[in-house]
Amino acid sequence: MNSVMNSKITTRAGQDCLQGLMRIWFDFERQLGRVPVIQRLERGRFPLEDYRRLLLHLRQQVVEGARWITRGASSFDRDFADVRSMVIEHAREEHRDYELLEADYVAAGGERRTIVEGERNAGSEALHAFMMYRASQPNPVDLIGAMWIIEGLGQKMAADWARRVEAATGGDGGHTRFMRYHGENDDAHLDKLYALLDRVCRDAADRRAILRTARVVARLYALQLEEVDHD
Amino acid sequence: MSVYITSTGHHLPGEPVDNARIEDVLGRVHGRPSRLKRRILKSNGIRQRHYAIDADHNTTIGNGAMAARAGEDCLAQGYLAKGRIAMLSVATSQGDLVLPGFGSMVQAELGLPDVELNTSHGICSSSMMALKAAYTGVKAGEHGNALVIASELASRLFKASRFEAAGAEVDFDAEFLRWMLSDGAGALLLEDRPRALCFRIDWIRGMSHADAFPVCMSVGRPADAEGHASWQDYPTYAEAEAAGALLIRQDVRLLDNLVKLGVDGLLRLIDEGRVAVDEVDHLLCHYSSHYFRGRIFDMLSQAGAAIPEEKWYTNLYTRGNTGCASLFIMLDEFRRTQRYAEGDTLLCFVPESGRFNNVYMHLTVVKEST
Repeated sequence: MNSVMNSKITTRAGQDCLQGLMRIWFDFERQLGRVPVIQRLERGRFPLEDYRRLLLHLRQQVVEGARWITRGASSFDRDFADVRSMVIEHAREEHRDYELLEADYVAAGGERRTIVEGERNAGSEALHAFMMYRASQPNPVDLIGAMWIIEGLGQKMAADWARRVEAATGGDGGHTRFMRYHGENDDAHLDKLYALLDRVCRDAADRRAILRTARVVARLYALQLEEVDHD
Repeated sequence: MSVYITSTGHHLPGEPVDNARIEDVLGRVHGRPSRLKRRILKSNGIRQRHYAIDADHNTTIGNGAMAARAGEDCLAQGYLAKGRIAMLSVATSQGDLVLPGFGSMVQAELGLPDVELNTSHGICSSSMMALKAAYTGVKAGEHGNALVIASELASRLFKASRFEAAGAEVDFDAEFLRWMLSDGAGALLLEDRPRALCFRIDWIRGMSHADAFPVCMSVGRPADAEGHASWQDYPTYAEAEAAGALLIRQDVRLLDNLVKLGVDGLLRLIDEGRVAVDEVDHLLCHYSSHYFRGRIFDMLSQAGAAIPEEKWYTNLYTRGNTGCASLFIMLDEFRRTQRYAEGDTLLCFVPESGRFNNVYMHLTVVKEST
């Protein structure tokens, strides 16, 4: 008697996949809890300098985010035209969010030039390369695994990190707009992900591919954050 | 070898104390009623609880004595003579003495000769760790039976005078648990054979996540993390108390993680084939308040992994949150008052916020063949 009441996910394959994605997410949150810069944030020992460094490193991947999503959209063939539409819409919503991030960096006392000229750290390189590679495959349904992690992070930033940053750096919201922005329309975003999952996860092979991509993206994202203290 | 819970018992000290009378017992800090009390009680839903201290702050029964009463209650309902108990495994968050181990004190109080002894230390999950040690002891054939007892006397920490000694204003994190925790003890008897209608322990599984999360609930840790790290680092205990290092604290901002980890553990057990959600007949979950809510629970429903609410059983609202004793007190009342049949399965879950240790247990109702 599995509860399929009010269900946005109607298939057993979709439900199994969501269970796997939830576990990967929780594991990812534990990975984040072991990353030094995030530990400092969670303990409130996070000076403005740390925040600027975090933004500087995040930006180099965020600025590329729209590329893998749009690349992914173009890799869906006619049988996945509906999926392609959903992915394009997602790309359109987010493809300039790095501008907010850059503005936050400046509001936090950074030089625009520094962040614009910044380079990808080792984790960002790996993450970007992996995303572009997966997005270039025919009908890359596993990208939903990547979207799951990235979307989850957006919600975590909005619900948790932004508040912590402000508490630790004495801000009034003026330099955390990028993090807060991702909290808007949370439920709508989640519903879209559910719908996508229901659409594209049809069997065990799809599930494996989606979970694998989610796991790799989570690990590489954590690596990107670990590298914040390695520059 | 299979291990069975063949009897249960409990001890709840004194008369139940309703919400209006809490401060009559614990006292009003600096003579003023709490401003947080109503809000916290509303969110945890607890209507009554028991205290082992009276309004004059005399201890009416010690922690060790409460544990012994629960043990006696359990044995009185079982089939085994006290003198035949082979192992005693005991848990508490804080015994009457700092040393020796709580188990020694409970053994003496019960008058149990020659037992193998185990004391487990921790917070809510310590009872499950004590239970696991006993379970594996019996399962391995080391002992034919084991008495497991969990007991808590938290109210001593909540006397108004404790907060007054720590300074002018009470911070939220230090006051939070004052409206959550109360006293009581529960006991389980394990045997290597079934008796009448009893519970077979299918497995017990703990998952601790202290490596990935900060401390969430503590005693002995100063509120201000600068300076001394432990109450024992102060030149005198009086100074530690004045610094608030002896107050019990909950970092409520971290509590969300407990829900996530609880769900994560359940999904892991489903993945391992240990739990089939559709086959769980009763869920006994030690949750400290209505904290299971929101998006994450919705997500669990979407994933087809939610256990319908009608299968949940708890006595939190009438017996209070007795920390590590809660699950045993819950299972005891379930056994005595609820309807269950041979073949029914119970999933028990104790999440501990201390530094995030979650323990799950799966039971099947079996009947002794006659």
